[in-house]
Amino acid sequence: MKRTILAFAAVTALAVSGCAANANSGGSGKPDAGDTLVAAYSEGGKTLDPAEANDVTSDTFVVAAYDQLVTYGRTTDGAQPKAKTDEIVPMLAKSWKASADNTSYTFTLRDDAKFQDGAAVTADAVVKSFAHIKASSSASFLYKMAGIAKVTKTGEHTVKIDLTAPNHLFLQILPMYSFSIIDMDKVTQNGGAKWLANNTAGSGPYQITKWDPSTEATMARNESYWGAKPKLRQVDVKFIAEASNRVQLLRKGEVGLALEVPPKDVQSLKGSDGVVIDSRASNKILFFAMNNKIKPFDDPRVRQAVSYAIPYDKLLNDVMKGEASPMKSAVASSTPGFSDAGYTYSHDLDKARALLAEAGLSKGFSFDFTLGSGFDDWNDDAVLIQAELAKIGVKMNIKKMARPQFLEALDTRKVQSYITRWTSFVNDPGYHLGLLLTTQGSSNYANFSDPVVDKSWQQAATEPDVAKRNKLYGTAQQEINTKAPWAYLYEYNIVVAHRAGLDGYTSYPDGIVRFFQLSVTK
Amino acid sequence: MPETALEPQTAESAQSAQPAVKPQTTLRLLLRNKLAVVGLVFIALWTLGAVFADLLPYGATQPGAGGLLQGPTLAHPFGTDNFGRDLLSRVLAGGRISLWTGLIAIAISLLIGVPLGAFAGFVRGRAGGLVMRLMDMLLAFPSLVLAMAIAAAMGPGMVSAMVAVGIVGIPEFARIVHGQTLSLRERDFVEAGHAIGLPARSILIRHIVPNALAPILVRATLGMGYAILTAASLSFIGLGAQPPDPEWGVLISDGRGYIISGEWWMTTFPGLAIATSILGFNLLGDGLRDVLDPRLRTSK
Repeated sequence: MKRTILAFAAVTALAVSGCAANANSGGSGKPDAGDTLVAAYSEGGKTLDPAEANDVTSDTFVVAAYDQLVTYGRTTDGAQPKAKTDEIVPMLAKSWKASADNTSYTFTLRDDAKFQDGAAVTADAVVKSFAHIKASSSASFLYKMAGIAKVTKTGEHTVKIDLTAPNHLFLQILPMYSFSIIDMDKVTQNGGAKWLANNTAGSGPYQITKWDPSTEATMARNESYWGAKPKLRQVDVKFIAEASNRVQLLRKGEVGLALEVPPKDVQSLKGSDGVVIDSRASNKILFFAMNNKIKPFDDPRVRQAVSYAIPYDKLLNDVMKGEASPMKSAVASSTPGFSDAGYTYSHDLDKARALLAEAGLSKGFSFDFTLGSGFDDWNDDAVLIQAELAKIGVKMNIKKMARPQFLEALDTRKVQSYITRWTSFVNDPGYHLGLLLTTQGSSNYANFSDPVVDKSWQQAATEPDVAKRNKLYGTAQQEINTKAPWAYLYEYNIVVAHRAGLDGYTSYPDGIVRFFQLSVTK
Repeated sequence: MPETALEPQTAESAQSAQPAVKPQTTLRLLLRNKLAVVGLVFIALWTLGAVFADLLPYGATQPGAGGLLQGPTLAHPFGTDNFGRDLLSRVLAGGRISLWTGLIAIAISLLIGVPLGAFAGFVRGRAGGLVMRLMDMLLAFPSLVLAMAIAAAMGPGMVSAMVAVGIVGIPEFARIVHGQTLSLRERDFVEAGHAIGLPARSILIRHIVPNALAPILVRATLGMGYAILTAASLSFIGLGAQPPDPEWGVLISDGRGYIISGEWWMTTFPGLAIATSILGFNLLGDGLRDVLDPRLRTSK
């Protein structure tokens, strides 16, 4: 009898201690040996195909599962590591050489790099990967922008890339996730490029072992990775749409890292134990675009008037709670070549009224504003701007739209006004302006068309000298700032909230977390 | 007919058809019903609030009336929102939108549902069957989903929300009036109308529909609460009122992100507004039914 009781007590004690151990490890967000991490993302991604991915979650998986020929350097900003985008360092290519006229580059590949199923990374794979990028619907425009004419194999481990003309963007574009090197032979065996949407065939530090866009994904360390072994053995990414839930899970320690934390929660998280807020200035901008082809926004004075009516301080302090900084040019202030020449706007309703009167609209006017869903700050900004515009007699009719429809509507270029954010993954004014504000720009949804901007941009594209090039970009920016196709709202901080003890997080302009750089210590 | 089998109560209440109760009597009986009076008080409060919302010192849409996210104080009894807008002003002004939405939606349901039901009940046969089967199809859809589909198709805005809620309410009225008409058309006074050679249209409009008014009135009152709730739901998901209009569903949607961080007043007060106004209409509707149905009345 006594024995039974003792045994029962022992079992109970074990059970209780077992529970306690579990509860502890669960509570700290770092179960087991500290080599796994749970991250909370807002959405589950759309594809795993490097050449088609264009949302943060998809990009994150691509960066984890694939390598590129070259990558960005790293530097530190105080004690915090960040990307150095103007320094390009080796990745799958151990070295490269440009021809004298800068129209041809020869890359020499590492000979020890292997795809995750064991096949060697060869020049053939590079040639085929570039062909895949060229044929893709999403990344093909980057291919054009990089000015790539021809990709040829010159040896088992050497590849020559010919350009149509000298192009300073070429080496800037190559480190992008879109230019991942894919095991195209494996893709062919599995029936072609469509297979890549749900599977990976890369040489990267992690394997995507599970991906369910509605709930979660799991990444497992590639144990035979050619480069430095990632410290985290496993990363679970949970997809949690509601921001408050992500914050709550982080606070409780059930996730170790959370993205897209709303500014109001950043404030409260800053005071909570064991949570670190990593908030950095970025080149992610938010602007209020006015369609230059739709009255009355075809008149620059009306657009300038709107720019004078924006309550800039309220947006930065009340909406963003300081997690953003003023935007003073169409190009982000952290982009090399930034210039705020021609920017004179501040919150000045008298000036706004005067400009409206000059444009013959002293009685005000009414216009439609399309508000895309998905970002709380957009909604708050719109409401504040609407209230300010009302003071100068301008009626802004807000029409809400779900995000997919919103993006489609923008594409028609017939939306009268809208707010949208933009991040140029290639941190260069040529890339940025070329897409957004040249007449031919594929994302110039506000129909801005200006000969000065077009001409300077064109000249700069083939200008090899950095100083001369930046001067041309400066001219373009001054013209844009004066003509005001957009009212500039702010530059976002990229905020990553994580538990204390997580090290190695490096901020990149693309906002993608590179999990192979992270480690967790207790 | 299956419809009559499904509507025993409305068929019974047709007994009340004539002689009609005098309006004064109805009101007196209604005021004797305590719950109905509570309902009336709620409705009266929100109506008065809606009418006099503009008399409050702060506008419903002007940011910066007070500090940001302040809890209830004397100056701002319902607190302020994330733009410093006075929540009391917003809830009262929201009542104006919600009550109008309910009224107009019910009017749409009535204006379409009643003629359809009366027509189907009076002519019966294939045409009447077709109309009622169409109504059954509408009724088979979950009403909120149907309202969402209609509002989404029309584009977001308060007008489409009203129309959507109105359309969703049509079959209820059509069924009630259909049942009433089926029973009334066999009554002696209708027979008499036929006998003296009144045209069918005149019998329908002058004799049948007025006698079916009581259950329609009850249904319309109960439907108001439902219409307000559905319109608020549409606004909550972004299909109804657009910023800065302070519709109740929008207010709750705005406050949703602030529940966890502790700003409870942003959702609580608009939530209470919706709850009390619906309760008001439901209590009043129940009271009306008790008063207008002589069987229920005598049993009390």
